[in-house]
Amino acid sequence: MTAFLNGCYFVINYIIDMGASVMLPIIISILAIIIGVKPGKAIRSGLMIGVGFVGMSLIVDMMNDNMGPAAQAMAERMGVSLSIVEVGWPGMSGVTWGSIIATIAIPLSIAINLVMFGLKLTKTINIDIWNVWHIAFTGAIAYAVTGNLFIGLLGVAVHSIFTFKFGDLWAPLLADYFELDGLTTPHGTSAYMAPVACLVDAIIDHIPGLKKVNLSVEGLQEKIGVLGEPVVIGFILGTIIGFLAGYGPQEALPLGIKMAAVMVLMPKVIKCIMDGLLPISERAKELMHNHFGEDSDFYIGLDPAVLLGDPEVVTAGILFIPITLAIAIVMPGNRILPFGDLATIGFFIAIAVAVHKGNLFRTLISGTCIMTMTIWIANQTVEWTTKLGTSVGAIEEGATLAAMDQGGCPITYVFVQLFTRENILGLIVIAAIYIVCLFFAVMHSKARAAELAAAEDEF
Amino acid sequence: MSKKVIVACGGAVATSTVAANKIVELCKKNGIDMELCQCRISEIASNLPADLIVTTSKVKRDFGVPLITGMPFISGVGQAKTEAAILKVLREE
Repeated sequence: MTAFLNGCYFVINYIIDMGASVMLPIIISILAIIIGVKPGKAIRSGLMIGVGFVGMSLIVDMMNDNMGPAAQAMAERMGVSLSIVEVGWPGMSGVTWGSIIATIAIPLSIAINLVMFGLKLTKTINIDIWNVWHIAFTGAIAYAVTGNLFIGLLGVAVHSIFTFKFGDLWAPLLADYFELDGLTTPHGTSAYMAPVACLVDAIIDHIPGLKKVNLSVEGLQEKIGVLGEPVVIGFILGTIIGFLAGYGPQEALPLGIKMAAVMVLMPKVIKCIMDGLLPISERAKELMHNHFGEDSDFYIGLDPAVLLGDPEVVTAGILFIPITLAIAIVMPGNRILPFGDLATIGFFIAIAVAVHKGNLFRTLISGTCIMTMTIWIANQTVEWTTKLGTSVGAIEEGATLAAMDQGGCPITYVFVQLFTRENILGLIVIAAIYIVCLFFAVMHSKARAAELAAAEDEF
Repeated sequence: MSKKVIVACGGAVATSTVAANKIVELCKKNGIDMELCQCRISEIASNLPADLIVTTSKVKRDFGVPLITGMPFISGVGQAKTEAAILKVLREE
């Protein structure tokens, strides 16, 4: 028996040591075959994931090689501390999928979902396998930092429970504001940051003058045209940073083009990972649907991308590009230069928009709080995300990795901090703020559900 | 002539990939020659002209091109109806 276990251990370690680009294809292919995908298709899926991972590493390396020294030179010249260019969710999701924890997180989170649903602890049925990376992130970071697999899996479990509860919390808001009946978006940044918006909303409701303020910016996207496109944002930001770093046009403009390339190419390579996950996620979706049928009472958990078309979300997403950069510059001691997440800030604030019922003034205030908290936490998790990046072989030794999306997650931060206890004060302050926000989130959700029920009774 | 279909979501990674794969399959099954363009919602305008736009979220902006919400491809609810709507647009001359 011991010999057998040792053998297994050896084989598993041998595969892990080859790096994520080999480990992932093998595990995903096997997983796909187990759930009934044809071997040919299963192997193709596995390979696509490997390809996505290799592509992601190439782009992150290119970004670090070019943007890294420029950001550092800029920081030195300007006397600011922003020297770490954040990769954003496309990069961070790729890195997370590279961790062994992510693969285990797929069946583990499904099992937790089914148990919670069975015990009537949640009404959310998650069919979105891609965004399990958010759940996996907490576990992957905990595992990379502590080296303890059990703590990693516990992190997955804890984040799963939060996720499904968020699904329940936000369902009434999605039905009311986005008109998405029976759907919810349990995952992702806007789900875990919206409690902050609930607190802000409650405070503004009690300030006589501000209570009635609203702003409106009609058709901002049409007005700014291509300026809102990732390719243009990347170019402008890259070029400006080049000039601020003291580069001449001959160096600054190529930097601009390279950063435009990062913006455009990153989703294209990360899409390969999604392609590879498709057979598994489609099969999981089928299983969930067959299991629960059409008539029982539940919310289907989807990707928050379904919220990003709303005009108010789009408008706020554009306004928050300069606001986020301003927060990053103003925040004392901040090392993170927002970049990869800039084109999709909607993912941070989409549910906040629904909390405020589309009131742009309130969204601007709560969004500022959300982005501040995000950057603040992300600063403290840089060492952790870097460790994760190096441990899966996504970045070279000595390089750093940071992201606002997930890197700034209070759940991940508090969970991992409980085990490392590097910053007790940070742990207490962030946990306290977040718990208060969660309390207001529960109150807000209940009020909105009651409003919704009352409106339905009128008809 | 081949039909150009823009499939867009927030980040051009996850949901649009699901919808795009379903639409490509649908067209293949029905013998419709199509050209796929997958992008972010903020990039739709730059990728026009097109014969059809499918977004995985509700987009209220008018691009002057038929726009269908592809959310059923993600949720699995009401997929047949969406497929029929897409085929109707693509079969029109």
